[in-house]
Amino acid sequence: MTSKRILMGNEAIAFGAMKAGVQIASGYPGTPSTEVMETIISNANKYGIYAEWATNEKVALETAVGAAYSGANAMVTMKQVGLNVASDPLMSLSYIGVKGSLVILVSDDPGPHSSQTEQDTRAFGHFSNIPVLDPSTPQEAYDMAKLAFKLSHEMEIPVILRTTTRVSHGCADVMIEDIDPASRDIEGFVKDPKWVIFPKLTAQRHPWLEELQVRLSDRFSEYFKENSFNSISKGNSKIGMVASGVSYLYAKEAIKDSSETFSLFKIGTVHPFPEKAALEFLSNITDLIVIEELDPYLEEQFLQLIGRHHLDMNIYGKKNGHFPLSGEYNVDTVIDGVNSSLKDINTDVPFLYHSSPVIDKENVPPLPVRPPTLCAGCMHRTVFYAFKKAAGKLRTEKGMESIFSGDIGCYTLGNARPLNMVDTCLCMGAGISIAAGLSHTHHYQRDQKAKQVAFIGDSTFFHSGVAAVISAVYNNADITVAVLDNRTTAMTGHQPHPGIGLTATGVSTKVIDIADVLRSCGVDLVETIEVNDLGECIDTAKRAMEFEGPSAVVFKGRCVGITKGKEQYVVDEGKCTGCMLCVSQLGCPAIFSTSSGLPVIQDNCTGCSLCAQVCPSDAIVLKEDSQ
Amino acid sequence: MKFDILIAGVGGQGVVLASRLLATAAMDAGFHVTTAETIGMAQREGSVTSHIRIGDEVCGSLIPSGNADLIIGLEPAEAARNIHFLGMNGSIVVNEHAVMPSVLNGCVEYDPYQVLEFLKGNCRDILSVDFTQLAKQAGTYRAANVAMLAAAAGADLIPFSSGDLWNVLEKMVPEKYRDVNRKAFDMSLERVSGIKNPEQQAMDV
Repeated sequence: MTSKRILMGNEAIAFGAMKAGVQIASGYPGTPSTEVMETIISNANKYGIYAEWATNEKVALETAVGAAYSGANAMVTMKQVGLNVASDPLMSLSYIGVKGSLVILVSDDPGPHSSQTEQDTRAFGHFSNIPVLDPSTPQEAYDMAKLAFKLSHEMEIPVILRTTTRVSHGCADVMIEDIDPASRDIEGFVKDPKWVIFPKLTAQRHPWLEELQVRLSDRFSEYFKENSFNSISKGNSKIGMVASGVSYLYAKEAIKDSSETFSLFKIGTVHPFPEKAALEFLSNITDLIVIEELDPYLEEQFLQLIGRHHLDMNIYGKKNGHFPLSGEYNVDTVIDGVNSSLKDINTDVPFLYHSSPVIDKENVPPLPVRPPTLCAGCMHRTVFYAFKKAAGKLRTEKGMESIFSGDIGCYTLGNARPLNMVDTCLCMGAGISIAAGLSHTHHYQRDQKAKQVAFIGDSTFFHSGVAAVISAVYNNADITVAVLDNRTTAMTGHQPHPGIGLTATGVSTKVIDIADVLRSCGVDLVETIEVNDLGECIDTAKRAMEFEGPSAVVFKGRCVGITKGKEQYVVDEGKCTGCMLCVSQLGCPAIFSTSSGLPVIQDNCTGCSLCAQVCPSDAIVLKEDSQ
Repeated sequence: MKFDILIAGVGGQGVVLASRLLATAAMDAGFHVTTAETIGMAQREGSVTSHIRIGDEVCGSLIPSGNADLIIGLEPAEAARNIHFLGMNGSIVVNEHAVMPSVLNGCVEYDPYQVLEFLKGNCRDILSVDFTQLAKQAGTYRAANVAMLAAAAGADLIPFSSGDLWNVLEKMVPEKYRDVNRKAFDMSLERVSGIKNPEQQAMDV
């Protein structure tokens, strides 16, 4: 039985995986990949699937690898930067291969919308010799998830299912099939030297891996004859186009009025590149326009193909400036790129047509800029403000400057004005190590010693903070670690983590106490404080910063995304002097200034009371009917 | 058939829910539908949009500029920010309730009245109501998104009826919020009923 449902691309992938018989799934949340695991988790009991959130992507991949070694159908999910963390096991795994099946879901983020990098996982497939499938719609994502498991099992190699934001975070009507409970029939781990990587084994396996690339490339070429993931539509000019992923749909829409003009090579199995099918496609054209987001991956494949076969052909893409090398594509980008290419092609094919905006954006009155901001009532704002105050006191009392290293999570938003509390941010877990590195340079700077503070969230602490703490203690770095513990993985939509006491599927488990971890790592000063009282937070922050050597404070609070306070605050206009400290110091999205010169607190107030504590005139008071 | 809707608002206003409601209604009406949503960091009080593309064929989820048949602006500035998406015969439903940014983050002096006047002056087909106020009267300001969808359906600006839309809503909204949403839905329908010519309405409501 099939049924049609509105599914987000990520949900469709999860349904595809469950239809394919996934038995174990592990992952670490990361936008735009998170909902794949969340969907599997919410169906885990129903279909008898083991699903978990791991502490990080490397652990998640290795967990899935163990399951696949036992003959299970395993899946691991992560975002593109997560694959960097998991790249160590990934690079070795391609030589070893798998027994059951292993699908690695990786979501790329052209734009980027919610990421540190604009990297292209197709390139990672190329680098690691692991096949990559690249869906263009949620329906394809569902179908490709099934194909990925099948390919992985048959070829005994992990398969990467790579999406981009518009596939993962777009909804569509998707035809899905009924799902059976996951099979309990797993062969189990069979001892064999082939599971133990060793230089000799790698040397033996490397030729197999290279030969597999050719077999897969040939197989993917065959797909053009039988499979809708790869297809060729022939046009009546000598101009061809190639596109993969969501760019294929942009290309189709861009040429909708001249679709019979262009030949279109649509490729869903992007790595290993299907050379035979590509060569055949090229035999009918003289000019090729390559339409792909992120890296010029397909463009390079075609360039080397025409070079090797001495084809007389021009290629138009990113490398010769017709298409942007960065940023997300859309139909308009593609039309511009195709028109730019057509200008250089000696052809009478007419330019593609843009619908022009009816109302010119230029004439719009000034609009407010709305950068992402910490939520109204977010506990992180209190902690950042406390450290700002503590640092101010240290500067006045001791002439000591402070440097604040941030990390990845909601609290990266502490960088925004007026808090300005993130001086460095690089990648998950880097804040602590960067603070340590900065502290070790004090010896080389005259009169420049600054206090190094590292902010890290609870989930990020477990992800990659612990090793950094151990190294900092081991090497006696003079740093203060501030753990922002809101007891959830907030940025990605509130997943549990090892500090919560619940597994992904809601089973009660051990609470791993962050303060205990810090103490057992050898941090001599470890304090834990609830963030309700600003004064206490400032004192605690200052105490930790004044401590010589590694120190840490665990700030505990609630995430207003989960539990909003019932109380709300209002400005008592009789008492308010209009000093605007509440607006200028905190940047809370619930407070804004008005033309009357007095601040106003909006409905989105969640009652954290920080503004009331900051107000020097006691003019911010509890709203009477708010409790 | 091809119908492109862009919903614009501020993170937390319920743009994603509104987009899912329209997508489900479109599927129930037998169309293909595809959406593009803003999820993740930008949701934190930032400008967010959802693109909903309804039609006979599967297409990419981002609406090309100059192509939207309807813009639903949950906030005046967010409607104006995305005005370049509006197509030749497109309509706008805009919420007059402004979300003021914290001054230091907002950078410029934002005058919602000026922005609304611009929208009314430049768009032939615009329905402009304080839907947040209306939703508050119904019981919660959070139902402004639902009130706006009801208005769009009531004014025949989307390719399905208000009844079809409510049927979807009823299934998707948690039971404890159903009554308040029903009230906001009905009040909004009543507000736009009798408005045959939205051109006139811009001045009247």
